[in-house]
Amino acid sequence: MKKLIRLQVNGEAHELAVNPDETLLQVLRGQLDLIGPKKGCDSGGCGCCTVELDGKAIYACMKYAASADGGEITTAEGLSQDGELHVIQQAFVDAGAVQCGYCTCGMMMAARQLVDTVENPGEDEIRQAISGNLCRCTGYVNIVKAVQHAAATTDRDGE
Amino acid sequence: MSLPNISDYHVPDNAEDAIALLKQYGDSAMIVAGGTFVHGLEVRGVLGDIEALIDIGRLGLDGIEFGADGLRLGATAVFAQLEAHAAIGDDPAFGAIVDALACPPTQIRNTGTVAGCLAASAPLYDLPAALLALDGAAEVLGDSGRRTIPLCDFFTGLFENALQPHEIITSISLPKLPPGTVSAFLKLETNANDLAIINVAVRFTLDGDACRDCRIIVGGGVGETYVRAAGAEAALEGAPAGDAGFEAAAAAVTNDIDPVTDHRGSREYRRHIAGIYTRRALDNALARFG
Repeated sequence: MKKLIRLQVNGEAHELAVNPDETLLQVLRGQLDLIGPKKGCDSGGCGCCTVELDGKAIYACMKYAASADGGEITTAEGLSQDGELHVIQQAFVDAGAVQCGYCTCGMMMAARQLVDTVENPGEDEIRQAISGNLCRCTGYVNIVKAVQHAAATTDRDGE
Repeated sequence: MSLPNISDYHVPDNAEDAIALLKQYGDSAMIVAGGTFVHGLEVRGVLGDIEALIDIGRLGLDGIEFGADGLRLGATAVFAQLEAHAAIGDDPAFGAIVDALACPPTQIRNTGTVAGCLAASAPLYDLPAALLALDGAAEVLGDSGRRTIPLCDFFTGLFENALQPHEIITSISLPKLPPGTVSAFLKLETNANDLAIINVAVRFTLDGDACRDCRIIVGGGVGETYVRAAGAEAALEGAPAGDAGFEAAAAAVTNDIDPVTDHRGSREYRRHIAGIYTRRALDNALARFG
């Protein structure tokens, strides 16, 4: 029996009918056409499905949508505001941290909290933040640089 | 392998309703907390008999309390909440919890729950080893009321535990440990997302320079459930903290465990590493003292 749930996704309110074991990943991609979160392993091992739920990075592939009723979700699509790239998106572009791009959305969502809260994270700290995200292209080097740069250039005075 | 057949997802708002739902469905319902373990079961095709999921995330069981008689971890408190709690992070006695929680990636730390991790009853997980070393107990609610199950009696086999049908864990209680108690946890893994090849949780209380009330728990690929390394504990009990006592405990661990050979490692490798990791965990625990 489908369940009716309410989700706030990238600032927009939605009322959705979901199957009892439908995951957030299925709902975001299948019902809301948000393709930032991707289906890689579908079992919480690769990280390319990473989104934020109530401000915390989670694997959308293993979160039952019905359990997220009332939650606020941010996907990679929700990072840019008014047509301007988020500092973390710009940093990934500038650092050459994107090759095939499949891991990129998940990487940014996993690192976003660190970027927002720590001005000069060390390499170990960054690698810890993205330890749940696999990249098969880049070797992570430029991803780490992108996160460092994003953290350093985040406007903290304006908050 | 069977296709999932789940027709209902219930989100009760009180524990009595959750128990009533469990009774109603019998074997065809499964409790969900964070959802990571249950989802893992579903994608592996082993939930064919499950018709309903009962979510215990809205029962208000996510608190963490620290008082005179110890620490109480709410069933649905997520790992990140434990990490952020001063009573856990600041107390060297709970070092093993801090170490265990540092292992999983951010996404799991924001989702995995204390009770879910325990109820999964897999020796491959990390937090349960730490909670065993700290003499934790599961506070349980069922249709016949409340009871307490010491964690040393909780795990009865691989994916099997002492919970009766119609029972849920409501919290995990950890006793207040004497001053001078330290603990640590170490995990051998191939990457942050993988399960333990071997993990070790240790705890002891320094009495002068002697180690008392020693606990050494080994998990990972060591069989159906966590192993209490009684021989290693006996070797450590009363011994002075440091090289000699720790080496004796590390050497004794290899006889306490009967590891498996699987794709993560051979039994000989696990036996070897268990000794090394026991020694390192003891060193790490001692470093927390004072």
